[in-house]
Amino acid sequence: MTQIHVHCLGVFREIGDGFDVDVPSNSVDAIRGAVAEHLLRLGRADLNDVLKRSVFAEGDELLKDHMVVESSAVSVLPPVAGG
Amino acid sequence: MKLFIENRGTHWHCGLVDGPCETQDLDALVSDPAHGAIAQFFGVVRNHNEGLEASAVDYDVHPELALKAMSELCADICSEYPVRLLLIHSRGLVRVGEASVVIAASSAHRKDALSAVSDTIDQLKVRVPIWKKEIGPDDEQRWLDGYSLRKD
Repeated sequence: MTQIHVHCLGVFREIGDGFDVDVPSNSVDAIRGAVAEHLLRLGRADLNDVLKRSVFAEGDELLKDHMVVESSAVSVLPPVAGG
Repeated sequence: MKLFIENRGTHWHCGLVDGPCETQDLDALVSDPAHGAIAQFFGVVRNHNEGLEASAVDYDVHPELALKAMSELCADICSEYPVRLLLIHSRGLVRVGEASVVIAASSAHRKDALSAVSDTIDQLKVRVPIWKKEIGPDDEQRWLDGYSLRKD
């Protein structure tokens, strides 16, 4: 298992500025699954719909779910609402 | 206006500022002796949204990603219209009546400047990683939904 730090943005800040998850692989898909489980453990299953519409980023790169994370930290970006 | 992160291209300048955007003297930042039109847009925090009162909006930003998206947006707009373009957005608390985003564009003729400003605000809302937490008069807070960046 690998530990990944997830930096929270937008509505995900309701659960803190970030948290760690253990993942079986460094794929974005695996991280998404681990984050969903983390939300369930926190009693925030209500955020899973937002999670499905969220994208992960590593540094300043947006990631697709089939991609592999090279570092040990990602950001989770909910739907954007600037302006 | 003191930007905490910014980027420039040949014909554009974008960045982020802590707190509200200044709205004075933006025309000077895009002026060009060959341009006969300057258009400006100020996005201002209003006192209501979806039937609820609001007193402020707290903007959350991923600075590096936002700057990258704003830079790509400005480059796209400048490739579509012959304009000089300025785009600035707020981070943090912006109260009712204060500006959270300012856009200015100059062009030789008015249509390009007006279209560039309109397209820039439309695209910013769906492309740039910025999030709104609306704050009510009794300090109640709610995050606003928006546009997904997910492509897969």
